[in-house]
Amino acid sequence: MIGTKTLMTIAFLCGATVALASTEKMISQKGKVFSESELTIKVGDTLVFVNDDAIAHNVLSMSAGNQFNLGSIKPGNSTPVTFKAAGDVQILCAMHPSMRMKVKVTD
Amino acid sequence: MHGTRTIIGLAAGAAFFAVLAGVVVTRSFATAVVGETRTFAVTKAVDATTEKLRADYKRPKIIPFPKDNPYTAEKAALGKTLFFDSRLSSGNLLSCASCHSPAYGWGDGQPVGVGHLMNKLKRRSPSIINAAYAQIFMWDGRAGSLEEQALGPIQADVEMAMPIKDLLVKLNAIAEYKPLFDAAFPGKGITPDTIAHAIATYERTVISGRAPFDSWIDGDEKAISAEAKRGFVLFNTKGQCHTCHSGWNFTDDSFHDIGLKTSDPGRGKFLEGIPKAMHAFKTPGLREVTRRGPYMHNGSMATLEQIIEHYDHAGEERESRSDLIFPLKLSKQDKSDLVAFLKTLTSDVDPTTVPVLPR
Repeated sequence: MIGTKTLMTIAFLCGATVALASTEKMISQKGKVFSESELTIKVGDTLVFVNDDAIAHNVLSMSAGNQFNLGSIKPGNSTPVTFKAAGDVQILCAMHPSMRMKVKVTD
Repeated sequence: MHGTRTIIGLAAGAAFFAVLAGVVVTRSFATAVVGETRTFAVTKAVDATTEKLRADYKRPKIIPFPKDNPYTAEKAALGKTLFFDSRLSSGNLLSCASCHSPAYGWGDGQPVGVGHLMNKLKRRSPSIINAAYAQIFMWDGRAGSLEEQALGPIQADVEMAMPIKDLLVKLNAIAEYKPLFDAAFPGKGITPDTIAHAIATYERTVISGRAPFDSWIDGDEKAISAEAKRGFVLFNTKGQCHTCHSGWNFTDDSFHDIGLKTSDPGRGKFLEGIPKAMHAFKTPGLREVTRRGPYMHNGSMATLEQIIEHYDHAGEERESRSDLIFPLKLSKQDKSDLVAFLKTLTSDVDPTTVPVLPR
């Protein structure tokens, strides 16, 4: 349903013309499993957590520099998270503790 | 199925201009930047065939032991001795087995546990059956390993009320314990870690017996009744039981609010800001289920029939209640079939021998 796409976005904010390139990757939560167990991304990259399961999920990181908590995410919702600091990030669903993934964020 | 997409944009500072529709809410927490939530339609999975379902319930062939606490016979033997030794409590009356007794499906048969000085606890003593396969422990998930869990009740003032320092002194004074620890943990002595590792190793050997259901899963069509077979299909379809009681051990090892009348925050105590964690408790496995009553985290239901009635009506409607809990509209026959199926999960278990304790 959610495949590989290339998206060109042009935003004009405050008259700035600084070009940035970042990647955005979809992470499915179907069947109480994150679609990736380990992943390496760069600072500034975005993971979009897609709840395509039948039940609510949570996505949580307590890893220093990249903490976030998406609360309860109902089925049929997706939320992007942009990682701002280099380091290893442990991500889990607080309601389904077997749902875990590791993200290595590099400079 | 899910790929990578590249965004090339023009931006200033950390600002990001979203162009995708369906925006619901924006949240931010600490240093990672949380963007805007979008909605989409979810396609429900098609029900699997009975044959496919049967494959999902096959018993595993091995017991998993963690790398940092591998199985040894000496460790399991010491763990069993400690598990049944009431001197691990300050009053010398309560052992681990007092609340996790093989006589009651490794629980205690009470609505809630009873601890030091007959203190009534707030929750039912959970069975330790098949704990080897769990990844998180206690009704609210506050222990991340069996080793961590093992020392909790020993030290809790309302349970066994035994300060760990005092326990070390006590066990060191029981001469016959020393060779058991030496055999299990050469050179390490009696420490909180060796006590916890031994008890956890023993607990991992407590596995549910082979039940009629397992014989049916393996192909013996006569092992369970037609009523139970209908119950199995209902369990995995209309009854929706499988969405939490999944796999051969019948648990997803996760936390759900099933709509019980309770003021206990459960998992929510540790996860503020996550509404679905409130009143959520860990899904118990269903192996040996007829020996494990009374049921629920608070022992509020005495029979399997009461439980099915609860799920049929979905309990209390509230924000925290799981999305998987909704009125099922089960018929009288459906309910009877489900109970018949659940009864096939109990084995003809062999009696458990109790160790002679060191002196």
